[in-house]
Amino acid sequence: MKRLLKAARSEAWIGRVLVLLSAVVLIVVWHLWARTNSPLVLPEPGPVLSRLIDYVGSGRANPHIWITVQEIVLGFALGGVAGIGLGTLASEFGIARRVIMPYVIITQALPKFALAPILVIWFGFGMTPKVIIAALIAFFPLLENTYLGLTTAPAEMLELFRALRASRWTTLTKCKALHAVPAVFSGLRVALMLALVGAVVAEYVGANKGLGALIIVSQGTLDTELMFVAFVQLTVLGLLLDKLHGLVYRLVMRRLYGSIGAEMRAAGVSV
Amino acid sequence: MPVGVQGQSVNDQTGELSGRGHIEIDGLTKTFASDAGDITAIEGIDFDIAPREFVGIVGPSGCGKSTLLRCVGGLIAPSTGEVRIGGEVVTTPDRRIGYVFQKAVLLPWRRVLDNVMLPFEVMRRPTEEDRRKAHEVLEMVGLAEYLQHRPGELSGGMQQRVSVARALAVEPSILLMDEPFGALDAQTRDLMNLELLRIWQESQTTVVFVTHDIGEALFLSDRVMVMSARPGSVQDVIDVDLERPRTFEQVEGDERFWSLRQRIRDQLE
Repeated sequence: MKRLLKAARSEAWIGRVLVLLSAVVLIVVWHLWARTNSPLVLPEPGPVLSRLIDYVGSGRANPHIWITVQEIVLGFALGGVAGIGLGTLASEFGIARRVIMPYVIITQALPKFALAPILVIWFGFGMTPKVIIAALIAFFPLLENTYLGLTTAPAEMLELFRALRASRWTTLTKCKALHAVPAVFSGLRVALMLALVGAVVAEYVGANKGLGALIIVSQGTLDTELMFVAFVQLTVLGLLLDKLHGLVYRLVMRRLYGSIGAEMRAAGVSV
Repeated sequence: MPVGVQGQSVNDQTGELSGRGHIEIDGLTKTFASDAGDITAIEGIDFDIAPREFVGIVGPSGCGKSTLLRCVGGLIAPSTGEVRIGGEVVTTPDRRIGYVFQKAVLLPWRRVLDNVMLPFEVMRRPTEEDRRKAHEVLEMVGLAEYLQHRPGELSGGMQQRVSVARALAVEPSILLMDEPFGALDAQTRDLMNLELLRIWQESQTTVVFVTHDIGEALFLSDRVMVMSARPGSVQDVIDVDLERPRTFEQVEGDERFWSLRQRIRDQLE
């Protein structure tokens, strides 16, 4: 087990180095490619970086970032609570599953971005339509993963709880829910990214603030450099949110399985 | 400390005290539905197990040994016939029955002590007395040093001992064991068998022990039920008149052990 853990650790380091190297290559390619183009089509990385530093440093970026972050977080929270809640209901009660699932499929079959214009008509240009879109799109992976996690607890564990005459609630809280933790967290991760996409795309349809609105504005003014500044901000925001998710996930897993156990599970070493 | 005496407190709460370890199996048949038609797993089993008796069940694989055990424990309902424990017909699982499955079935996110506390937590808000009891049974199975370890950090044999401790913690009047040591290596299994006998003699619970190992069944049991191939029924009941406490040297040096072993073997052919 120790050896496998060591192998996984060194693999992680090699992975980090390779990511760094490939990022450098990509930026060089961008740079070379941009030199053969007009800055209106593709600005070079250098100017984009200095514009970014200026834009963020001057504080002009803050309102946009702040609005988009709020939309993502609120949408994610709303969609998350709904997804986990309905996923739990669906997994525990057959009748709930039968009633919920058709509606879930309908909301998924309908392209949610198609709703953005009507939501703007109903709720105006503020945050509400973006939060709703983000929530709708973040909801599904959580429902699915919660359902999956709760319904895949090993049969022998469930038999143990039955033999102990555990109530439905006890079985849910002491067995199924804890078993579902990794599945729910992988749903949360997807939901977080989807909430970001949802918020930004909803901003395209009608917003005066937010990173998505910034992209639309820079399109209107042919300020491609500013558009790339927004891209970089969105990318960094996405990475930070994902890091935050990873941090919380590791803390929870460590709490459940101990530091060695959590690391082994993360490395896919079976225990 | 004799667990049986302590056990009275638990038993008192659930109403019944005497004869709790008495199992009567009466005309038990279990049929499962399948795509290929109904499958009769066990058929017409009649058997009586006295309080504090140690009964082994052997039989060819797929003969319904586990099905029989699950019926006794109330985990599945029989198709016809019934099981009575202490005179009451079994319809649901019973907390006074302890289970040990083939796998240890520990909750990997709980430490060893917390795994043993699980039956208490399911029943009620655990008391100081419950905690003391959990410590006691873990000491009994030789894991006093490992209270704060997680199952993933223990060997297979140690995990199975935790599972035995968990079953014993609530001082069951009946212990149902379904090939509990089948997955362990021979050496660990021998050790566990000795320990099980010691614990059983201290605790005075009724034990029903399913195994595919004839030698193991004979070494442990007062009586061995030999089951026929599917549909499983009682083919033979063997009284194991070997003195207790038993050791491997003494049992294996005994002519009776080998002749009983041969007798069962002939029937399982």
